[in-house]
Amino acid sequence: MTISYPQSDLTVREDLIGAQTRFWEHLAAPGTWLSGAERVAIAAEVRNVRNCAFCKIQKDALSPNSGEGTHQSATDLSPMMVEVIHRIVNDPGRLTESWVRGAVDSGISDGAYVETIGLVSAAMIMDTFAAGIGHDDVPLPEPASGEPIRYTSSGAKRAAAWVPIVEPEDATEEDGDLYPGTRNAYILRALSSVPDTKQGYWDLAVTNYLPAEHMGDFDTHFRAISRNQIELIAARTSALHSCAY
Amino acid sequence: MTDITGGVSGVSGETDIPHADLLAAYAEVVYHRDGPLIAEKQAEIRQTLGDAAFVDCAAIAAAFHGFVRVADATGIPYEGAGGGTDTTDLRSELGIDQFYRIAGE
Repeated sequence: MTISYPQSDLTVREDLIGAQTRFWEHLAAPGTWLSGAERVAIAAEVRNVRNCAFCKIQKDALSPNSGEGTHQSATDLSPMMVEVIHRIVNDPGRLTESWVRGAVDSGISDGAYVETIGLVSAAMIMDTFAAGIGHDDVPLPEPASGEPIRYTSSGAKRAAAWVPIVEPEDATEEDGDLYPGTRNAYILRALSSVPDTKQGYWDLAVTNYLPAEHMGDFDTHFRAISRNQIELIAARTSALHSCAY
Repeated sequence: MTDITGGVSGVSGETDIPHADLLAAYAEVVYHRDGPLIAEKQAEIRQTLGDAAFVDCAAIAAAFHGFVRVADATGIPYEGAGGGTDTTDLRSELGIDQFYRIAGE
């Protein structure tokens, strides 16, 4: 199903429609640790955060870990998975290493946690774009059947970040082309322990932003707005999220 | 180097980036998911910069709603994110050192 925006009179770039359509197919398919149904449920839960009263309490609280309450869930995902999704969506700037380790220690594996981050983040891209052009959420895809591939990269280790990462020098042939090109900033490494998730997320992300190999090029205009204008929107959005990176 | 201090705290002064006020304001209304204001800024950007530019604005804003979550949920190191141009002094000047993750260290 090709993504479309019938409520808008805008013509959306073909490459963007292509990337969005590919991500919706990626979302619905069985992943590395999660089934297609679980993955689509994650995207549904991302949308449900907007209705969660407990999330509003947490966001307004001085400490993100204070306040008693339960997230309002719209899916049958586990309570800890719901907590993970709601916190990443609602208050990402105040996530901590102890919270991440608590989630993983509760039974969500490192791999499933990283896969969830990739899906939540990409779902946010999809939904934010729709909202940004004044359109309703794009209908979620039907989950596809099949089993997750359950792949663990042999080079993944937890050292530089709160989750395991495959450093470029530790990537193996089995990981696929984890680092095409010469750029490998940590934002590009963040999801590397789950290669399929990394690829699915970045295919969408770079089509919205810029191709990775051009991120250091401030002289060429790749979009209909200038590089300075791109970075202003990027910086303002990041600051509103209190993102240190 | 382009001065993007207005991107962090909001555009409040002179900048050499064309339509900086409008673009920053759009990023803000998208962040808040304010439907009526999004419609208002959409109309203004389409009239001022054109439809293709507006689509790019929406796509960039959307992209960074994703990037911040990848970075913050994985805890990747923020030092060096600017490719060597970000420094402790710059973070202090921009107020980034007051962000929760850094302030808590």
